[in-house]
Amino acid sequence: MALTLLRCLFASWLLLAALPEVCAEPQVVLVSSERGYSYSEAVEAFKRELERAGVNRQNILDRSLDEPIDTTGASLIVALGARAAEQRAAHGSKVPLLCALLPRASFERILQKNGKRTSSTLSALYLDQPIGRQLDLIRLGLPKARFIGLLTGPGSQAELGDFRSAIAARGFQAVVAHVEAGEPLFPGLKTVLDDADVLLALPDPQIYNSNSIQSLLLASFRAKVPMVAFSSAYVRAGALLAVYSTPAQIGRQAAVMALGVLGGRPLPASGQYPTDFSVSANEHVARSLDLDLDAPALNDRLRALERRP
Amino acid sequence: MGKMIGIGAAIVACANLALAEHPGIVSEGDFLADMPIVLSVSRLPQRLDDTPGAVTVIDREMIRLSGVRDVAELMRWVPGFQSSTSFEVDAPTVSYHGAFGEFTSRVQVLIDGRSDYSTYLTGSIGAGLQTVALADIERIEVLRGSNSAAYGARAFLGVINVVTRHPVDTLGWQLSAAAGQNGVRDGLARLGWGSDVASYRLTLDQRGDDGLNETDGDPQVHRFSKVQRVNFRADLRPTPSDEIQLRIGQININAGVGRVGDINRPDRDRSTWANYGQLDWQHSLGADEDIALSLSHSQEALDDSFPFSLVALKRQSPVISRVYPQLGDVAIIDYSGAAGNDTVSLQHTFRHGSDLRVVWGGELRREHTKSKALYATNDVQITDFKRLFGNVEWRIKPAWVLNAGGMFERSSKSDDNFSPRLMLNWHFADGHTLRAGGTRAHRPPSLFEKQANLLYSADGVPLQSAVVSSGKVQPENVKSRELGYLGHWPQANVNLDVRLFNEVVGGMVRREINRGYVFPAGTVIRRLPFDYTNGPDIQIRGLEYQLKWRPFTSTQLVINQAYTRLDSLEPDRLLDAPRLASSLMLFQKLPSDLDLSFLYYRSTDVIPPASGRPDHERGDDRMPVKRTDMRLSKAMRFGSHKGELALVLQNLGKPYADYESAFRFERRAFVTLRIEN
Repeated sequence: MALTLLRCLFASWLLLAALPEVCAEPQVVLVSSERGYSYSEAVEAFKRELERAGVNRQNILDRSLDEPIDTTGASLIVALGARAAEQRAAHGSKVPLLCALLPRASFERILQKNGKRTSSTLSALYLDQPIGRQLDLIRLGLPKARFIGLLTGPGSQAELGDFRSAIAARGFQAVVAHVEAGEPLFPGLKTVLDDADVLLALPDPQIYNSNSIQSLLLASFRAKVPMVAFSSAYVRAGALLAVYSTPAQIGRQAAVMALGVLGGRPLPASGQYPTDFSVSANEHVARSLDLDLDAPALNDRLRALERRP
Repeated sequence: MGKMIGIGAAIVACANLALAEHPGIVSEGDFLADMPIVLSVSRLPQRLDDTPGAVTVIDREMIRLSGVRDVAELMRWVPGFQSSTSFEVDAPTVSYHGAFGEFTSRVQVLIDGRSDYSTYLTGSIGAGLQTVALADIERIEVLRGSNSAAYGARAFLGVINVVTRHPVDTLGWQLSAAAGQNGVRDGLARLGWGSDVASYRLTLDQRGDDGLNETDGDPQVHRFSKVQRVNFRADLRPTPSDEIQLRIGQININAGVGRVGDINRPDRDRSTWANYGQLDWQHSLGADEDIALSLSHSQEALDDSFPFSLVALKRQSPVISRVYPQLGDVAIIDYSGAAGNDTVSLQHTFRHGSDLRVVWGGELRREHTKSKALYATNDVQITDFKRLFGNVEWRIKPAWVLNAGGMFERSSKSDDNFSPRLMLNWHFADGHTLRAGGTRAHRPPSLFEKQANLLYSADGVPLQSAVVSSGKVQPENVKSRELGYLGHWPQANVNLDVRLFNEVVGGMVRREINRGYVFPAGTVIRRLPFDYTNGPDIQIRGLEYQLKWRPFTSTQLVINQAYTRLDSLEPDRLLDAPRLASSLMLFQKLPSDLDLSFLYYRSTDVIPPASGRPDHERGDDRMPVKRTDMRLSKAMRFGSHKGELALVLQNLGKPYADYESAFRFERRAFVTLRIEN
C-alpha cells in the first residue's frame, strides 16, 4: 500500500518536472510595445479572460519588444501597441497576428508599409471608437447640439470623408477646419468655435497633444463649446465627455478573439472596433456649463443603443 | 494606486514622446497618455444658479447689438441701475438703487479683477468704467446686491465685473469708426498677434462727442467730451500649469464743461488722466487646487484749475476792495491733484470632493493722494488696507447649495470691520432655483469725506471755504436680505431672474453744512462750508426682474423691471431712485445679414443725481426719463475682410434730463463702420 502511494507520488513528481517542457511551446504569445501600466493592464485582462476559458496561464507567453521573443509552436501572436504591431508585421512569421491596443490609423499605416492586407492571419482590434458611437454619445449627452466641430490635421484628414458622412447620416452638420503641419491652430479653431455646438476631438497628435490641450480647452470653454474627447485623461484635463476603451477592455476583447483562433476559427477579415467601452464626464465642467450629465447613465444608454448589456 | 497610475501614465507619455521621430503620427500614446489639468477649479466659474446673489450677464453680442458707446450707457439695461452719459461733473457714471450724490462710490468696478475706482475725491467709478474699449470686452457680469463679503468695501451695493477678451480671440487687426450728430466721433485701431501660448493685443481708441445740451446755455461754452485710451494685454503660458497676464493702459478724459457765471463750476476744459499696470499669475496645483497672485499699480491725476472773475463780487460788495486792496480781479479755483494705489493679493481656491469648494486669500492695498487744493497740505495722504476673505460653497445635497463667506478689512484710517454673507440656493426643480440669504457690509468714508479741506483763495486772501470735513464721519453700513428666483424653461427658451430685496443702509455718508465751522480770519465769503456726516437709516425695498425670451432663433427679447422704494426719516433728501424703471430690448435677425435692435427705457420721476439746487429744493427737479434707441446693422465683406456697417439712433423721443436738470440728452444718429481681418 505504502509502495503504491510512493509510486503515485513519484509519478506526480515526474509529471510536474516535465511541465516546463510542455510550456516551452506556448499557445499565445503576447508582445507589448513596452512594459508600462497600460500594457500590463491589457496583458493581465487578456490572461485572466483566457484563464477563465480554461487556458493555462503558463501557455501564454508575455514579452515586451526589448526581450527575446520565441514564437515557435504558437497558434497566435497578439501585438499590443503600434510599435509591437509594426515589428511583428515586418517579421514575416507564419503565425497569425492580432494587433491590438493601437489606433486604426496606426494599423493601416503598418499594412501599407508592409504591403499587406487584413486577412485571416493578420487582423486588428482598434483602440479608437467608431465615429457613430461618439456621435451617439453627443446626441445623448448634448441633445441640443446640431453643429459638430472638427479640427483636422495631417493625421486625421484621411478619415474626414467618413466622418462627414457619419455626421450627416445622424442629422448633424459638420463644421470643419483643417490645419496644415506647422500652421498655427488658432485661426482654424476660431472658425470651428464660432459655429459649432460641440468640438469633437480626433486623435491627431499634431492637433491634440499635451502642449496644445491647454489652449484648445480654454478656448472652447470660453466659447462655451464643450469638447467631447477620446480618453479619460482629456476629461480630467477639462473635456466635457469622452467615450473610450480602457486597456483592460481591449485585453478582454482581444482574449475573446484569441479564443476563437485557438478554437480553430480564423481572425476576422477586417479590423474590429472595440465592443466594450467606458464613458466619463467632467462633472465640474458640466456644472459650470449648466449641463446635467451622469456618466454611468450615459454609458448604459449608449450600450442600450448598441444592444449591449 | 493613484500613484501607480500616474507613473504608468508618465511612462506611456514618454513612449508618446519617443515617437517624435514620426511627428504627427497617431499612436496608442494619444489615447493613453496623461494630460495636464487645464480647467482646474478656479477656471470653472460658479453656475449662475449656484452664485450667492443675483447676476446679470451682458455678453459681447448684446453689447454690439445695443449700439451703446460705453459701459456706463450699457448699465441702463440692467435691472435696478441708473446711468448717465454726462461728463459735466465726472465721467459718465452709474448707480444701483439710488445715486445718493454726484459721485457713485457704492458700486465696485472690476476690470479683469482689478478694482478700478478713483482714490481721488469721493471714490468715483466714472473713469473706471471708461478704462477699456467696448470692442475689447468679452462680457460684463453685474452682481446686483451687496458683495463686500467677496470684494471688499467698494462692493457696498453691487459689482460691475468687466471681463476683457482673451488676446488669442482677437488676433489680427480691427479698425472701426463712428460719426454722426452731436459731434459723435469714435475710432478704434486694434492689433492682436502671437500664438496660443503667448498672445498680445494693443488697442488704441477714442470716444468723442459734443456732450449734453444745456437747456438755456450760452453757445460760447465749448462743450465736448473726449476719451482717449491705449490698452495692452499679454497672455503667456510658460508651462501647462501656469498662466501669466500683463495689462498696461492709459486713459485721458478731456471735457469742456461748466456753466457761464457759476462760481463752483464755470465753463472750462477739465482733464483727467489715469494709467495702470497689472500682473497676474495663476498656478494650478492640480485639478482641485489653484493659487493666484495679482499685483497692480494705478495712478491718476486731475487737472482742473480755472480762473474765476471777482469783478462781479467786488461790484456787489464794494467794501471788499477797500478791506483787501491787494485782491486782484481774478481768483484761481483749483481741484487738481494726483492719487494712486498699489495692491498685492493672493488667492487660493480648492475643491474637496465634488461638494465643497473654498476660495480664500488676502490683499494688501495702499492708496496715496496728494492735493494741495483739496487737503490744504503738500503731504501725501496714505491709507493702508489689509483684507482677508473667504467663501465656502457647500453642496449640502445635490439640490441645496450653501455659500458662506466673509471679508475682514482693516484700514489705517478707520476701525476694523467684518462683512459676512450667507446664502442658500435650492434647486427645487430642474432649471428652477430659489435663493435666500443676507449679508452685511461696511464702507469706510473716503479720504475726501474724512479729511477734505477745500478752500478758495486769491492773492493770499481766503475767499471761501467750500468743503471742510470735521472728520467725525463714520463708516456707513448696509444690511441686505434677499429672496431670489431663477427659472429656465428650455422648451419655450425663456429665462427669468427675480430679486426681492430689503436693504437697510445705516449712517449713509452724505454732504451736510459744517455748522461748527470757524472761518479763517479774514474770509471774504462767509458761507458755511460742506462737511460729510452720517445720515439716518435708509431702507431700500423692492423687486426687480429680468425676463429673456427667444421665441425664434432669430429673435431675442429682454424685459427688465425694477420697483424700488426708499424710506427714510428725511424723505425729501432721498428720491434718488425711480419708483419704477422698465426697459425692453428686442433683437431681431433679418435676411441679408441684417440685425435690427429696438431698445426702450422708461422710469417714473427721479431727481437727477447732480441737481445743482440746495437739498431742500431738489425735489423740484423730479422728472421721468424716457429713451428709445434703434440700431440697424449689416454684416459685410470687403474683399477678404469681414466688417459691419451700422446706423444707430439714440433717444428717438423727447430730450430727457441726463444727470442734472439743466442738461438734456437730445436725439442723435450716428453711423459706425468696422473692418477686421
